[in-house]
Amino acid sequence: MLKKVYISLGVSVVLFPLFLLLILSFGKQWSYPHIIPKEFSLVHWISVFQLNSTLPITILKSLVISLSVATIVTAVSFFSAKHVSYSVHRKKWLFLAYIPYVCSPVIFAATLQFYFTYTDLSGTMLGIIIAQLFITYPFGVIIFSNFWNDNIKSIEQLSTTLGSSPVQTFQKVVFPLSKSVLLLCFFQVFLISWFEYGLTTLIGVGKVKTLTISVFQYIQEANLFLAALASCLLVIPPMLLLFINKRFVFTNQQIG
Amino acid sequence: MNDIVLDIQNISKAFQKEKVITEASFKASRNAVFSILGKSGSGKTTLLKIISGLEQQDSGSLFLEHEEISAIPAHKRNIVYLYQDALLFPHLDVFENIAFGLRLRKIPKKDIVKQVNKMIFDLQLEEHSHKMPTQLSGGQRQRVAFGRALIIKPKVLLLDEPFGALDVDTRKQMQQLCKQTILNYKITTVFVTHDLKEALLMGDQIGKMENGVLKTFINQSEFLNDPTTGAKEEIEFWKNIYKNEERF
Repeated sequence: MLKKVYISLGVSVVLFPLFLLLILSFGKQWSYPHIIPKEFSLVHWISVFQLNSTLPITILKSLVISLSVATIVTAVSFFSAKHVSYSVHRKKWLFLAYIPYVCSPVIFAATLQFYFTYTDLSGTMLGIIIAQLFITYPFGVIIFSNFWNDNIKSIEQLSTTLGSSPVQTFQKVVFPLSKSVLLLCFFQVFLISWFEYGLTTLIGVGKVKTLTISVFQYIQEANLFLAALASCLLVIPPMLLLFINKRFVFTNQQIG
Repeated sequence: MNDIVLDIQNISKAFQKEKVITEASFKASRNAVFSILGKSGSGKTTLLKIISGLEQQDSGSLFLEHEEISAIPAHKRNIVYLYQDALLFPHLDVFENIAFGLRLRKIPKKDIVKQVNKMIFDLQLEEHSHKMPTQLSGGQRQRVAFGRALIIKPKVLLLDEPFGALDVDTRKQMQQLCKQTILNYKITTVFVTHDLKEALLMGDQIGKMENGVLKTFINQSEFLNDPTTGAKEEIEFWKNIYKNEERF
């Protein structure tokens, strides 16, 4: 009983700020020191579904960037982590993977900006995707480096001697065993990309607006209701991922 | 007995500068068990991995039924290599683990069910066919691994200290079951162990690996009389124990 009370309390603490954001997103007029807006309207939420509004395009751009980064990193780092983990120079490669995290993403972006300007990638979605790959790819390698251990190597070899080709070994053994870690990497990288601000602002040079950048912009403009709306939209994908993670990934791990 | 299935000639292997196998040659007869006795680090596992195609030798030749197989990839050799750990596929139950090799070969479903059920019966695993690997004991897991290898009827079965992780009683049971099943299924086997008794018990032919060199023996008697095998010391040890017991 007490446990249930604690859980309910914990959930309320997490959900209350989100609930407050949701109320603010419906606000039309608010003045200090009131906590709740005086007037409410659906106008901001309706704008999300209007094609001539900037918000749907911003959401779409954010989704394209984050999904692209998450997909590329998950796919590429999965296989490159295998080579890193089985290499005799494993420690050296993993040390290199940690280098992008020595400084913050903004400083890291500042060191890259020259090259992006030189190659005309600044201010483009492709530029942002590439820039985010620089920080998320090593992260993917680090996640997968624990998966590719001696046990997996032996299971792969065993499967090979039982007659499976490299493709069959991947389909029938490696992929089913790696589903959880693949999803974990995809979710983590998606979230890093989704909430990325400093690097995206610097490489995007104000031309590419993501949802995270929009939230900051609305706050700077003191547009409380739009900032609340953008924040609500910003937390939807992470909430969805959290649900999928709990519903499918965690359940699978328990069965396994 | 004299029909040679596996002919290993002058194999050598080094990892970077460290020589792991200096010289290994032996011939394994059809349906016989060739035991290789050796301490840890003597090069036994590397030799098995070379035979299975998981490692490439630096020099020497491998003949399987008189065909040179060095250039043939591991998945096409039809030589199964079993580790000390059972290494069952954790996402598959006992039935599916055993059926793994048959499904790869696209055998009709009816035949798979029939063959797997027979194997499960032969290995006394009837009650466990739908259990997941985590629900099995060490001995049961090893039996499943064994069945998964035997069911595809490999030309050669390589067993790398398969009972090393088992307790004494289970080990004894598994040695008998293994010997009997290999005999029933008529599979040429190379059995690697560091246990002298196990090498003698399992092997029809025998060899000893030491510091990367494999020495083979014509028969068990030659092996027992060779001072380098340690067999004489073992016999003397037990004789003395017996004598001491008689005195009391």
